[in-house]
Amino acid sequence: MRIPRLTILLTATAVFTSALTLAASAAEVHVLNWKGYGADEPWAIAAFEKATGNKVVNDFFNSEQEMLTKLRTNPGLYDVVMINAAFNDQAMAEKLIQPIDVSKLSNYADISPDKAGSPMLDHDGKVYGVPWVWGLTALAINEKSFDKPPPSIAVMWDAAHKGRVVIRDDAVEAVQFGAIATGQNINDIKDMEAVKAKLTSLMPQIKTFWSSENDWNQMVASNQIDIGTYWSGSADRAKTHFKLPVSLVIPQEGAVAWLDAFSIPVGSKNVEGAEAFINYMIDPTFYVEWVTKVGAPVSANTKAVAALPEDAFNRKVMGDPEVAKRIQFQAPITDAQREAYLALWQQLKVDVK
Amino acid sequence: MATTRILEGLGRLYIWLLLAFLYLPIIIMALMSFNVSPFYQLPFEWTTEWYAALWQNDQLIAATWNSIEIAVITTLICTVLGSAASLALYRYDFRGKKFLQALLFPPIAIPWLITGTAMLIFFFGVGIGRGLFAILLGHVALALPYVIVVVSARLQTFAPELEEAARSLGANQWQVTSRVTLPWIMPGVIAGGLFAFAVSFDQFVVSYFLSTPGQTTLPVEIYAAIRKGFTPEINAVSTIIIVVSMALMLLTARFFKFGGEK
Amino acid sequence: MAAQGATATRSGLRSALPLLAPAYLWLTVAIFLPLSAMVFFSFMTELSLSGKPWAFTLGNYAAFFSQSLYLTLLLASLRLGLEVTLWCIVIGYPAAYVLAKVLKGRSREAIFLLVILPFWSNGLVRIFSWAMVLREGGILDTALNAVLPFKINIDLMYSYPAVIIGLVHSYVPYMVLTCYLTLQAIDDSLIEAGRSLGATRLQVLKRIIIPLSMPGLVAGAALIFVPVVGSFMEPRILGGRTGTFYGTVIEDQFVAVFNWPLGAALSFILLAVVLVILAVASPVLRRAA
Repeated sequence: MRIPRLTILLTATAVFTSALTLAASAAEVHVLNWKGYGADEPWAIAAFEKATGNKVVNDFFNSEQEMLTKLRTNPGLYDVVMINAAFNDQAMAEKLIQPIDVSKLSNYADISPDKAGSPMLDHDGKVYGVPWVWGLTALAINEKSFDKPPPSIAVMWDAAHKGRVVIRDDAVEAVQFGAIATGQNINDIKDMEAVKAKLTSLMPQIKTFWSSENDWNQMVASNQIDIGTYWSGSADRAKTHFKLPVSLVIPQEGAVAWLDAFSIPVGSKNVEGAEAFINYMIDPTFYVEWVTKVGAPVSANTKAVAALPEDAFNRKVMGDPEVAKRIQFQAPITDAQREAYLALWQQLKVDVK
Repeated sequence: MATTRILEGLGRLYIWLLLAFLYLPIIIMALMSFNVSPFYQLPFEWTTEWYAALWQNDQLIAATWNSIEIAVITTLICTVLGSAASLALYRYDFRGKKFLQALLFPPIAIPWLITGTAMLIFFFGVGIGRGLFAILLGHVALALPYVIVVVSARLQTFAPELEEAARSLGANQWQVTSRVTLPWIMPGVIAGGLFAFAVSFDQFVVSYFLSTPGQTTLPVEIYAAIRKGFTPEINAVSTIIIVVSMALMLLTARFFKFGGEK
Repeated sequence: MAAQGATATRSGLRSALPLLAPAYLWLTVAIFLPLSAMVFFSFMTELSLSGKPWAFTLGNYAAFFSQSLYLTLLLASLRLGLEVTLWCIVIGYPAAYVLAKVLKGRSREAIFLLVILPFWSNGLVRIFSWAMVLREGGILDTALNAVLPFKINIDLMYSYPAVIIGLVHSYVPYMVLTCYLTLQAIDDSLIEAGRSLGATRLQVLKRIIIPLSMPGLVAGAALIFVPVVGSFMEPRILGGRTGTFYGTVIEDQFVAVFNWPLGAALSFILLAVVLVILAVASPVLRRAA
């Protein structure tokens, strides 16, 4: 509890000054990330602060576009930003992030080579993003509705589950899901009409469009849904942490994979602190604790994954070479594509109204 | 007379039904703050762990205090500025008045998402930046039109002859306003204040754009929490707020007459 | 809301200015100037914020007419606004009347405040609670099946009625509040005089009470209709598959694809439509009274 600062607030000038001097001070690391996504775990912050003497200040975004807007309108405020690899290119092109000296990160050498060498993160031989975790947008089922996990994505269209299917309210995800269902490359969709037709026939099956993990978990807790698209890390968390009857299904047709990475914004006032924080985020000790206490996606650090128990979901299922063959990593999308996907998605939603 | 009594009885019954409708979700919110499941799962299992967790959650508590402060200050500023503007719009006739009245609707009509984005960009451009002061600036602007519309509605029932009469008895402008007009519109002013408080206290979109880490409000925290870490702590804090405001309001009602008796 | 003040003068602006200036200056700095920037954006091809070259265009406004999608959704939103407003009048006006004219003494103040209190609670938490009531196996379903002798299935969640219920719940206090203000101002002796002259209750209601309380009704209707037309949060959470409205597409432009120019143009079209409706409706309502 603290004393209400009515008087301070009323003295407009005082607050004016504080608003103008918002910029980070040297011993602080300002981190921009999704809320509840590892970097703001109180135990992790405490451990990092104790080890390095830097103070962590978290700020959050609710969409990639918002993250970019926050970087644009607050130059110099942030030291670390978490960016989906597919957006790294855009952030770099707009000069929002700077190259990272990976020799300062002792854990960088352990990052799996296919992730560290991703052309989405490395430009002109410079590293603009340190791979952190990756995961899937696959399917998850309500265990109460299935005797055994369905092998194929076609189950989403099964009349037996009509009105008990969910899909995320996200144009890009929906279109890429349609691409997988029609056997296409998600990053190079040739037959858009097929995707549209496939999604059109899916719409009457749908109960609602989810937008957050909480939506999904609430619906499955009250047994309102059978199946839907879901994130791998969230499905694991729902099962192990919240004890909900949820399990992840990676259909034979494949699934969409995404990679999240840390970057350092241009103008950071504490690059050293930022490097220390990123190094801590890819450290096996932090990762194991994160998975055990909260549930997390798969670390890009091979040693971190190897430190998990052998039967851990992130090691057993996600580390399965058979799975690796089926998944497709999301590549950057142009603004024009994104707008086209949105137009298609909006039309589908209006038609089913 | 019998019909009147029956009708009045029905009227009372109706009010209680309306209250039941209005409080149904509130009661559920309160119940779920004592339920073990964070997903509103039934059967109900009693716990007070969410209240214990709330007590430890400095961030949520700080955000709650920020919300209360901002809402109270917004209410004070809005009732004063709004009532003054309503009086001017009622009393005087001038060119462009219709335009000024129409200007009250853009802040209500334009989705808050757009207003919030616009404020973020503009405040950034002119150097106000983000933070509690920016949030206050925005909240007052959002709530002002509500206060002006509500107070104006009350003023429409006011007979100008009363002001005339007072003036002819030798009262000056200030005396007329403070002794005749203000007491009459007081219920409107209070209602406007209640509106302003509600608009500010539940405002999340604009606050969301203008908040910084450490300088946020309760709705912003709630919205951010829903994405990943929603817990019934939010129900707990909402329940405490409702119970405390209910106690305060009922206490106020005991000592204060709203609108007076005739 | 033209004033009929007897003191109205031509040189009114000078007298009005000291009272008007603080409120309108505040609105200018915090809303009108930022929104003017948005108006400017709505005529741009690209947002210069991201460093891309841009030019002036009318294309964002033309986009509204080029696709039937926007018009369909705008009409759906207007219908939603109208329905919610009507329900709020039907539910809220009688309640305001009872509060203003039937209840007496301390209980009136207490009940009045109790009606207002729920809208101090958080909107999102409220919507979540409604989800719990309306869903299959939820509270309404369980309660009705416990009382009724036959089995019925109530699953209102993720439907249009759920959106209406959620919105009416959020906005009905507005109507109660504004109507109460004008109803409470009606002199009881006026009603008694009408009755003693032989008018029936219905006639008194039609000739005296409704016309005199009209300003409150109009203000309440405007304060409900206007924000409901632009709403997207309640429809999305409660409406499920049917929850796509005009506000949703505006939100998408801002959040999903960062096309602020188009999003801004769409919202100014919404504003224009709403203002025209208010301008047409309020004199009609007043004349009807």
